[in-house]
Amino acid sequence: MSETRESAPVNPVFSVRNLWKVFGPKGKANRVPGDEQLTGLSGSELTERTGCTAAVRDVSFDVRKGEVFVVMGLSGSGKSTLVRCLTRLIEPTSGQLEIDGEDVLGMDRTRLRELRRHRAAMVFQNFGLLPHRSVTDNVAYGLEIQGIGKRERRAKAAEMVEKVGLQGLGDRRPGQLSGGQQQRVGLARALAVDPEVLLFDEPFSALDPLIRRDMQEEVIRLHRAEGRTMVFITHDLQEALRLGDRIALMRAGEIVQLGTPEEIVARPADDYVRDFVRDVPRDQVISVRRAMRPAGKADAAGGPALAPDTLVSDAIEAVARSGESCRVVEGGRTIGVVDHDRLLKVVAGIDQDGEGEADKDKEVAAV
Amino acid sequence: MSTPTIPDKGEQRTQDAAALDKTPSGAGPDDGPGPLQRLAANPRALLVLVSLLVVVVSAAVTGSGAWPRGWTLDIETPLNDLDNWLVDNRETSPIFLYFLLHISNFAETSVDAITGLLESMGWLGVTLVGTLIAWAAGGADLSRRALRTGGTALGVFIVCGVLEMWEATMETLALMTAAVFASALLGALLGLAAGLSDRCERLLRPVFDTMQVMPAFAYLLPLLLMFGIGVPSALIATVIYAAPPMARLTSLGLRSADPAALEASTSLGSTPWQRLRTARVPLARRQMMLGLNQAIMMCLSMVVLASLIGSEGLGDEIYQALGSLDIGTALTAGTAVVLIAVLLDRTTSAAGERLDAVATAGTTRLMRRVRAGVWGLVLVLFGVFAAKGSVFSESEWPEAWTVDITRQLDSAVGWFTDHLGSGVPVLGGTVTWAQGFTEYMLNPLRSGLLATPWWALALLVAVVGWIVGTWRAAATGLVCLALVGVMGLWEVSMDTLSQVIGGLLLTVVVGFAFGVLAARVERVDRLLRPVLDTMQTMPQFVYLIPVIALVGLSRSAGIIAAVIYAAPAVIRITAQGLRYVDAAAMEASLSLGATGKQQLLQVQLPLARKSLLVGVNQGVVLVLSMVVIAGLIGGGALGYDVVQGLSKGNLSQGLPAGIAIVCLGIMLDRLTQPASARRRDQ
Amino acid sequence: MNSKRIRNSVIAGIGVISVLSLSACGAAKTSSSGGKDDKVVLAEPSWVGAQANAAVVKKLMEDELDVKVEAKQMDEPVAFDALNSGKADAILEDWHGVPKKEKKYVEEKKTVVSGGDLGVVGHIGWFVPKYYADKHPDVTDLKKLNKYAKDFRTSESGDKGHFIGAAPSYSQHDKGLIKNHKLDFKHIPSGAEAAQLKEIQRLYKAKKPFLTYWWEPQWMNNQIDMVEVKLPKHTPGCETPESEAKCGYETNQLEKFMNKDFADSDTDAAKFIKNFKWTTKDQNQVAGDIAGKKMKPEDAAEKWIKANKSTWEKWLPKK
Repeated sequence: MSETRESAPVNPVFSVRNLWKVFGPKGKANRVPGDEQLTGLSGSELTERTGCTAAVRDVSFDVRKGEVFVVMGLSGSGKSTLVRCLTRLIEPTSGQLEIDGEDVLGMDRTRLRELRRHRAAMVFQNFGLLPHRSVTDNVAYGLEIQGIGKRERRAKAAEMVEKVGLQGLGDRRPGQLSGGQQQRVGLARALAVDPEVLLFDEPFSALDPLIRRDMQEEVIRLHRAEGRTMVFITHDLQEALRLGDRIALMRAGEIVQLGTPEEIVARPADDYVRDFVRDVPRDQVISVRRAMRPAGKADAAGGPALAPDTLVSDAIEAVARSGESCRVVEGGRTIGVVDHDRLLKVVAGIDQDGEGEADKDKEVAAV
Repeated sequence: MSTPTIPDKGEQRTQDAAALDKTPSGAGPDDGPGPLQRLAANPRALLVLVSLLVVVVSAAVTGSGAWPRGWTLDIETPLNDLDNWLVDNRETSPIFLYFLLHISNFAETSVDAITGLLESMGWLGVTLVGTLIAWAAGGADLSRRALRTGGTALGVFIVCGVLEMWEATMETLALMTAAVFASALLGALLGLAAGLSDRCERLLRPVFDTMQVMPAFAYLLPLLLMFGIGVPSALIATVIYAAPPMARLTSLGLRSADPAALEASTSLGSTPWQRLRTARVPLARRQMMLGLNQAIMMCLSMVVLASLIGSEGLGDEIYQALGSLDIGTALTAGTAVVLIAVLLDRTTSAAGERLDAVATAGTTRLMRRVRAGVWGLVLVLFGVFAAKGSVFSESEWPEAWTVDITRQLDSAVGWFTDHLGSGVPVLGGTVTWAQGFTEYMLNPLRSGLLATPWWALALLVAVVGWIVGTWRAAATGLVCLALVGVMGLWEVSMDTLSQVIGGLLLTVVVGFAFGVLAARVERVDRLLRPVLDTMQTMPQFVYLIPVIALVGLSRSAGIIAAVIYAAPAVIRITAQGLRYVDAAAMEASLSLGATGKQQLLQVQLPLARKSLLVGVNQGVVLVLSMVVIAGLIGGGALGYDVVQGLSKGNLSQGLPAGIAIVCLGIMLDRLTQPASARRRDQ
Repeated sequence: MNSKRIRNSVIAGIGVISVLSLSACGAAKTSSSGGKDDKVVLAEPSWVGAQANAAVVKKLMEDELDVKVEAKQMDEPVAFDALNSGKADAILEDWHGVPKKEKKYVEEKKTVVSGGDLGVVGHIGWFVPKYYADKHPDVTDLKKLNKYAKDFRTSESGDKGHFIGAAPSYSQHDKGLIKNHKLDFKHIPSGAEAAQLKEIQRLYKAKKPFLTYWWEPQWMNNQIDMVEVKLPKHTPGCETPESEAKCGYETNQLEKFMNKDFADSDTDAAKFIKNFKWTTKDQNQVAGDIAGKKMKPEDAAEKWIKANKSTWEKWLPKK
């Protein structure tokens, strides 16, 4: 994890350091993070010893401006708790938490409310819509809380309703909408307050697979259009890989690996992660940059050129078509070569083993 | 009302069995060990058996087991002192001058004002405006709901007028309006406190329990002393009785509001007040509407009872008629009460349904305008009639349009009771049956309870309480039992207890039988529904006298009245429980070729166990609430003490007896309410 | 977390508002005259005789004196409280059933004053139905009562005879009598007068033997024949305490009581009520019409008023 800290840009949106959240009797729970004897215990041991549950354990990461930061983990891994700690919907037990360099944990009620009103808005798994209000009024809810006048907020809400593709449904009640439509309302509600960061708590896990895909595309579209920073919680690896610029993989309250989708798939940090990513179609995640071998002098001329970000699956097509190895070209310079052998290794998942790994490490760190 | 959920107890039991004795090995229920073996493997059942044995043996050996005399406290003297103090200081003490009298004057003025208003509106105005309000509450359109609600209202007003009950109906309606308003307000505020704060909830819960089990008669008396006779006492007694359901449901609604919506609201930076106003309360609206509906029903039953302390209206009408054994008039007035209940129930539930419908389906702008227009019209008509009602109509229903059916009703009831009482061929008739019930059920039960030493009974209560519930339930039961003893009411209470147990058995048998029937035969259900409604809303006074004609002045009469009152709830809960048994399980059994009977015995009943238990619990509470009424018709014991305390104005007799009833009530409630039903998630 | 603040402010708010709204307006009026204004309020106990009194008085006062009268139903104990506080102006028929309150208000606080005798004589005793007494003439002898106890057994009384006791608000010391005369009877109270009447009606119809607390005037005496069991003669104070009572009941001059202010007001209404006096026969006639013939009280009163002008003319205050 040390690598991420090094590579963090100067001004992260969220900066999280050594964050703990321990559930349990207040006095006891507060003591857990500071006690060396306790911090070393596993979850079940801790519960047995103190009656407390550590949902988030010593977590540190940065969320960079404009990126989609995905927190992924199975249920009970503490990911939902973590995202709620960011706006103190759940009060963290200890650690540092900053938004744009400002200390969140030290904020008083009013400041905190300002943060929630203007800077971070959340989309929830169960939508959290108010059934007695129309779609427009639901979308305008955040603005209403801010104290914005009726006419203005309705106009803004109508705009958002349109933006998420619910034209003409503004007078409906949430109960009359499908699950996907309801979540669009939830999304519009969060967008309406024009927040700096959007927080998603497993927003699509209650939806059908097809609709989920639609919604994911919607998020990608929005992100491309607006470049808003997003923190996205999910238990679905596919979703994480699709959406995430970087992924933090959580297990039992701890981040076990943090990196780009490619890093995680190509180079799992431990068996747990490896197990996790086993079924991922590797060729669709890993780029040729990782598959290539460094270019020798002889490789400079021959074969079609590929960009380093080209996915392996696309490279396979190119290689198959040309019948020979392809060059990986970056800035007009050939930096490497991929051939049948290299690509097949990626698909088979045996590329990460063996000697070359150590070299590649350095390579990646240098990129 | 909320039906408490009961998590799987089997799991808990096996755990305990494993913890308590170290031989869980051969006790699998499927290996078919003999019943004795199985019993031996289940320490809880064994414990109950042992304590039962102790009770029986000790009862047989000692033969009398009254609470030791030395352990009683003299509460009569302080109560008499209090009584005297109240009477002496009513006009001088600051508590009265600055607090209680304000309440009582305010209550009186407001009810007077409403009565005056109804009077000046005249019959035409009341009928017209009332019907319009009902129609508007139903949606103010041409939908079936709106028309039905409006039609019901119109019908109710006309029938009340035709039956010559107009004036009494208006008086009752005035008292009702004030009482409903006050109890809804108080209930909502208390519910708000209990819904938002766990501590308040913990604090208020036993208060609500007590308020609901406490027989109204017991607190009518102190109220009488504090607020004087008539409207104020009646109003306050009604509010005490009717506010708890409103508060309970409000609290439940606030607590069960969709947590995601609340969190969403917080996440958008709402202040606590904003959250309460925009999310929490609107989300609890449905429950609050239900609470209002319940509060109205309870107000109605209480308003009738309040005639005992000088309030007017239909209750007074009934009470007067009974003095001259005029069942016809009593029944007519009772019918008017039932009709008002129907009117208010239909109107509020239609309003609730409409709220729901609007919440899920929204509404068009046109409809909104129409509705606003209708309400405006209601207001205008209201104003016009209130100011100039006498121009359009008399204040009372025109006499020419009335029909007197009291005579016919009277003879019909008389014929019915005569023939059923002793004229049934072969079987003898109700009088004989009731005698049998008293001799073979009530008398042995009573002498058994009286013969049991107090400590053996305490043991049984503790053991059952602990097994059914928690140690806390056991402790509560014991405290209640001890309180009864300390007040020196042990023997009377055992008499009452024997009646309650007898009544409960009968209620449960009747309730389950009809419940099963209603759940399985659609037509029975349809037929039963209005009958049950009537049984629950008909003022008890009305059927007390015919019951005497049926079974004589005896404890059986009281028990029958109690069964009439309590059975509907049990029937409903049973039928509902059976009907909502998991459809998949039913289908599975059907696909395995189960017969109807097999399905009932092997699937429905076991799966509906939870609701059956809730039914028993409701039965206990309702039967107990009839103890005082039973005291009016030969039930004797605590009920009689309360009645006599009230009618002789004797605080030191009525109040302890009332408290003893509450004690018995709480004890029985805890013993029949499985622990998990009360356990709430943290 | 912060819903605690709401909760606290809600609770505090409720408290403050209720206290303010109640006490800010100063001391309350003690004798509320809510809505009664010029109306005369009669306390009307729940038996038919009282209904008859009230119906006749109401009808006459409204027709002859043009005074509005409201009869509110309340039993004696409640009625005395009401007379004390001014919520009721008069009770027309008091059986001296609440000596404690009577003493307190009439003698000590002097807020209630006697309005003179009603003229009706009340008599309480133990009665058996005539058909039974005809067969067993010596049942009327208290000492021989035990001989017949087994005839009176019911499932309620077990192996003793069943004594039908009075409704709770009535003057009674029957339990003491049974105990002190060593009678083989069990006192089983009726919870309400109506219950007792219905039970007697039922038993009478079935021609069953019964022994009951009974009284005169009582409208049902028009329908059934009862014979009294002779109880020892009443001497003043002999019935208290109940545990030592051996005597029968006093023959009662039923009395009217009035609120002091009303009685002193010297209005026509007050004078009329003081003058009101009639006989047991008169009352029974009206009561019988109400209860036996199921006439409306006002119709029964009107019928009597038409037939007895000479009687009631004397009640009207002299102009």
